Amino acid sequence: MSIQMNVDWLAALLMGLAGAGHCVMMCGGIAGAFAGQVNKTQLFIYNLGRITSYAIAGALIGAAVGSIAGLADQGLVSLRIIAAFVLIAFGLYLGQWWFGLRHLERLGQPLWRRLQPFAASFRQRKSSYVSLFSAGMLWGWLPCGLVYSALSWAAISGSAMQGGLFMIAFGLGTLPAMFAFGWLSHSIQQLFKSKGFRQLMGALMIVYGLWTLIIAVRQLQLV
Amino acid sequence: MASSTLPDVPEGLCFHCLQPLPEDGGYPVTLHNKTYSVCCYGCQAVAETIAQQNLLHFYQYRDTSNPLQVPLVPEELQQLTAYDDEQLQQQFTRSEDGLRSINLSIDGMTCSACAWLIEQHLSRLAGVQQVQVNATTERVAIRWQPDAVKLSEILQAIAELGYRALPFQAANQEQEFKQRRRYFVTRLGVAGLATMQVMMLAIGLYFGVVSDLDAELRQFMWWISLFMATPVLLYSAQPFYISAIRSIQAGQPNMDVPVTFALLSAYGASAYATFINEGEVYFESVAMFTFFLLVGRYFELLARQKAVSAAANLVKLLPAIAQREIANGEYESVAVNRLQIGDVIQVLPGATIPADGELLSKSAGVNESILTGESRLVNKYQHETVLAGSINQNQAIRIKVSAIQQQTVLASIIELQDLALSRKPKLARVAERMASKFVVRILMLAAATFLIWTIIDPAEAFWVTLSVLVATCPCALALAAPTAVTGAIHKLNKSGILLRNADVLQILPDVKTVFVDKTGTLTTGEFTLQQLHVYKEHADEITVKALAQALENHSEHPLAAPLRHLTEARESVADVQNEAGYGLQANWRTDGHVTPVRIGSLRFIQQWHPTFSPKLTSAQVFLATSQHVLAEMQVGDKLRHDTQATIAAMQAAGIEVIMLTGDRLELAEQIAEQLNIKHVFANLLPADKLDKLTSAQIDGPVAMIGDGLNDGPVLAQADVSITFGHAADLARTAADVVLLRNQFSALNQFSEITSKARKILRQNILWALIYNIGILPVAMAGFVTPYIAAIGMSLSSLIVLLNSLRLYR
Repeated sequence: MSIQMNVDWLAALLMGLAGAGHCVMMCGGIAGAFAGQVNKTQLFIYNLGRITSYAIAGALIGAAVGSIAGLADQGLVSLRIIAAFVLIAFGLYLGQWWFGLRHLERLGQPLWRRLQPFAASFRQRKSSYVSLFSAGMLWGWLPCGLVYSALSWAAISGSAMQGGLFMIAFGLGTLPAMFAFGWLSHSIQQLFKSKGFRQLMGALMIVYGLWTLIIAVRQLQLV
Repeated sequence: MASSTLPDVPEGLCFHCLQPLPEDGGYPVTLHNKTYSVCCYGCQAVAETIAQQNLLHFYQYRDTSNPLQVPLVPEELQQLTAYDDEQLQQQFTRSEDGLRSINLSIDGMTCSACAWLIEQHLSRLAGVQQVQVNATTERVAIRWQPDAVKLSEILQAIAELGYRALPFQAANQEQEFKQRRRYFVTRLGVAGLATMQVMMLAIGLYFGVVSDLDAELRQFMWWISLFMATPVLLYSAQPFYISAIRSIQAGQPNMDVPVTFALLSAYGASAYATFINEGEVYFESVAMFTFFLLVGRYFELLARQKAVSAAANLVKLLPAIAQREIANGEYESVAVNRLQIGDVIQVLPGATIPADGELLSKSAGVNESILTGESRLVNKYQHETVLAGSINQNQAIRIKVSAIQQQTVLASIIELQDLALSRKPKLARVAERMASKFVVRILMLAAATFLIWTIIDPAEAFWVTLSVLVATCPCALALAAPTAVTGAIHKLNKSGILLRNADVLQILPDVKTVFVDKTGTLTTGEFTLQQLHVYKEHADEITVKALAQALENHSEHPLAAPLRHLTEARESVADVQNEAGYGLQANWRTDGHVTPVRIGSLRFIQQWHPTFSPKLTSAQVFLATSQHVLAEMQVGDKLRHDTQATIAAMQAAGIEVIMLTGDRLELAEQIAEQLNIKHVFANLLPADKLDKLTSAQIDGPVAMIGDGLNDGPVLAQADVSITFGHAADLARTAADVVLLRNQFSALNQFSEITSKARKILRQNILWALIYNIGILPVAMAGFVTPYIAAIGMSLSSLIVLLNSLRLYR
């Protein structure tokens, strides 16, 4: 089991990295809007807030699913199969071949509607680290297909601890893209944005998904 | 701020993230009381948040150009627009038929896949008529309509792909070559040293497997290997990553993508195994693969350099300063690129002539070896054209400049050479396309291999996939054609043969019928007046000579040359008209009379004098007024000294030689007999020649050898057209092949080199295909370990390279 877990860590990090193109396009705007006003430390704290939210979400969903199932191995494996399909859908989404993930994003909308009003109030006091961190945490709840597919993996991690860690790894993977606006060179941004990069990453994710699927199906047979 | 409207984004793209909208039109978001479409709920939420937080200025100032087309930074753009300046363009572009052409040297082109990419990208630009990219010389030849697209737009299109294109300058190139060489040599050195060390350890480890090496020692060796392989991965393999990233960015993955995958995953897995001290390491494969690939690239670079240096050297020989005549008859020094058409310049003995021009001095002896490869004194007379690059041998001469810079014959020769290097034969294009398709399939097959092996035996899946990636790298396929074509062109150049169209390499060996023009082709084309019969009752000899000479000064027909310098006497003619295939007609002014006068073929004269029949059986040039025939002339022409042997060799090789000539049958047969040519068609007009050739083409490809002057249409029609280096006509010539040394025997060399080149090209492609297709199932089945795969891949490329290098001998 330990090797499998290690690979999951890698999966999380990879998902974050693969999403770079998506992140730059979607949220680079926010990071860019800040970049003019905040320094790197502030930007980092903001992102830390975001990743904390991911971790909380991961821990919550990991714990929830873990306790419901009480989980017989069989149940976990089935969930793994679902996660594999989500990963494949994620690959298709990145490569812009199929946009089924958009429907998943919709699920997050009601939650975001509730949280959004807070965002404005945090912004009034942007200078303090605490408020920056809080604003970042809010940002973490934006409806985002990428985050939700990562969460579907956190769900099958079996515990709050694992789910949270998984989401932290994912969040770290998304960091380069977020700093791309302020930090990284123009050419790397261009690489992230290019269609070829996204398709390659999409293809990689699909292969990864298929691989997970095969392993899960094998385990199912073994049980 | 609230009143300002936000800039629109391109149609069909999400307002927030600029990615394509879903087919149903996306989701609405209202900003500044205007509704925009976004692609997903995420973008909707972000856009609304941005609006609420008063950050809308983000939309105001961002770059809304389609991000899928990578934009340039503004400063670079500004520099490029400077190239649109007409004056500046004069210096490095050529204009022809309303089109403009340029040679650009491209920085950062690492392989032929890059060439393919640039070609695809540019030919999609409106107004670009022709794009020929040459991976060998790292140059691109472009023809475009200046009113439809600007040069800066073309340069920008290239920059979008991540390359830097600048008008070609020979001096820079040499420098770049040096830099690139150093770039490879240092990386090669690091990879070589590290590979040796890692291999040594690897061999120790293999033995260890047998003799139970103790675990601690094994881990120690792993760590040393890791330490050695790291600089290889981070430093030596850089060129592959860069090339892979570029190709991915452009959505056209090249072979460096699987290479990068293989290197990074092999290293990553090995490093991981070293850290946890469990599993297997592939450091030796990483190092070896990098080293061998680099060797291949380095050889390719050297081959390139060899082929290019000859052409580049030509330009360097042109002087930078010219002596221009000023109003008071004295001379001032000016930069050659400042010269204007019509300027009069002086060239001292021993100096190189800086621009094409009309000779104003009475005569001159020049050495045109730079243009023809033949160092022999050539005599030029007043009003004849002297060419840039030739060396003035005798006394100081005066020249009226008629062409400068890119317009000169020298420049056109260089350009033709470049063109030939960039026009890939069809087989080569096919091979390249195969290689780039191969890459995508390899990636897919590697993925499939991985998944299938996961089912069969997960422990083996990784290294089998690695072997597939390494073993099937289509390097050999990508090298097959360019190296062979470069070799052939280099070899041909050395023999004074200029290849304009590399397709010829492919066709020529199939040619079984050769048409030859007589005058100037089989014969030297250096004519003298051998017999002259003057009808004394109508004109005296001096008048006839002076009149003939006055007329023939307007003709470029080879028969005209010996009639241009007959006497010191002068006659005056006006309104000269050239009737192609017939002769010249003009008005002759004598003592206040104006008399129509003709010089030319018998048929031409018989239009005026239908009953006239010549006294001399061998006369070909006739002079007549509308009233009387004045004279008959026989202009002599002798066989080229090497014609006989060459024709005999061609016939011995089973090639049918057919003579086509506009001359009279008696004259043609006389030559044909000497050469043992069975089929002679005489008395042909250019249109008749074309008919003969076209009907012969039904049976198979046909070659035409002509002197390029009146044979333009026939040459253009032939499958392979060969002409001689009448330098002044080079730019206009329609031929595929130019024999610069004006020797007929070059034909034998040509066909020899051509068949050899084709053979090598085919061998290369066949070998590459056999290897790549053959190794695939074996590697997928798990019979090839990664380091064997690296050796196999390198050997296959090396074989292709060495095979092509045979052409350089």
